[in-house]
Amino acid sequence: MIEGACVLRLTTPPANVNDVHDFIVAELDRHPDLNAMDRMVFLTALVELATNVIQHADTGFGVTCTFSLRVGHDRIEAELSDTAEDGGIKLVAREMPADELAESGRGIALIQALVDDLRYERVGDRNLWSITKNTARPGLTDVSAVS
Amino acid sequence: MKFETSPIGDGIAAVRGVGRLNMVSAPALRETVAVALAAGRTRIVIDLSGVDFVDSSGLGALIGCLKSARQLGGDLRIAQPTAQVEMVLQLSNLDRVLKSYGSTEEAYSD
Repeated sequence: MIEGACVLRLTTPPANVNDVHDFIVAELDRHPDLNAMDRMVFLTALVELATNVIQHADTGFGVTCTFSLRVGHDRIEAELSDTAEDGGIKLVAREMPADELAESGRGIALIQALVDDLRYERVGDRNLWSITKNTARPGLTDVSAVS
Repeated sequence: MKFETSPIGDGIAAVRGVGRLNMVSAPALRETVAVALAAGRTRIVIDLSGVDFVDSSGLGALIGCLKSARQLGGDLRIAQPTAQVEMVLQLSNLDRVLKSYGSTEEAYSD
């Protein structure tokens, strides 16, 4: 868990990716000084990660996810922990599908193109994803750390 | 998100929705376009001016609809993508496949 982070726990279904999206927007809205591009890029990346987990992790019994998100003075970081089975995920640098008319297979490549760091590890009986996006807010103090 | 279809001339359907084009709304887009194609409108233009967010599920739906239209001898084009949609299209190299126009009327003016 990221220290000082805001946390969302949900089980899908009935929750869906719109709930995750609303949570991220609400958290980013608490930081109006965030650069609009940084905000858009991070929102896109984290929603994409949530979509990827919800789509691929649900084995018919639903999946429980815990999101933690922290906006710091020079970066935005998030962790996503889910209860899905170990899918044997190997997180290597992905490229967009060779078939430009492919209808899937772009999610991880898109996240990697958006953020500065994407990690995955299996911890106990959970999958743990983390992403970090460096931001451009020179001169600001780390408001999250002191609030 | 609900999608609405407006006819343009003969054989063109403009499809518009407002909100997020994601894994929740993507099936509705596929269904809306399928209905237009079944009605003989095989040239589809998706008005994206009200779509403030797209993810890879939304991209998959757009590509699926493009393929369906082409299989019937038609095409699918997009109009007025917002900043986030343009960014995602560029990063996924789909800006080369999904041609973007300034308005739904312009999309098939050639």
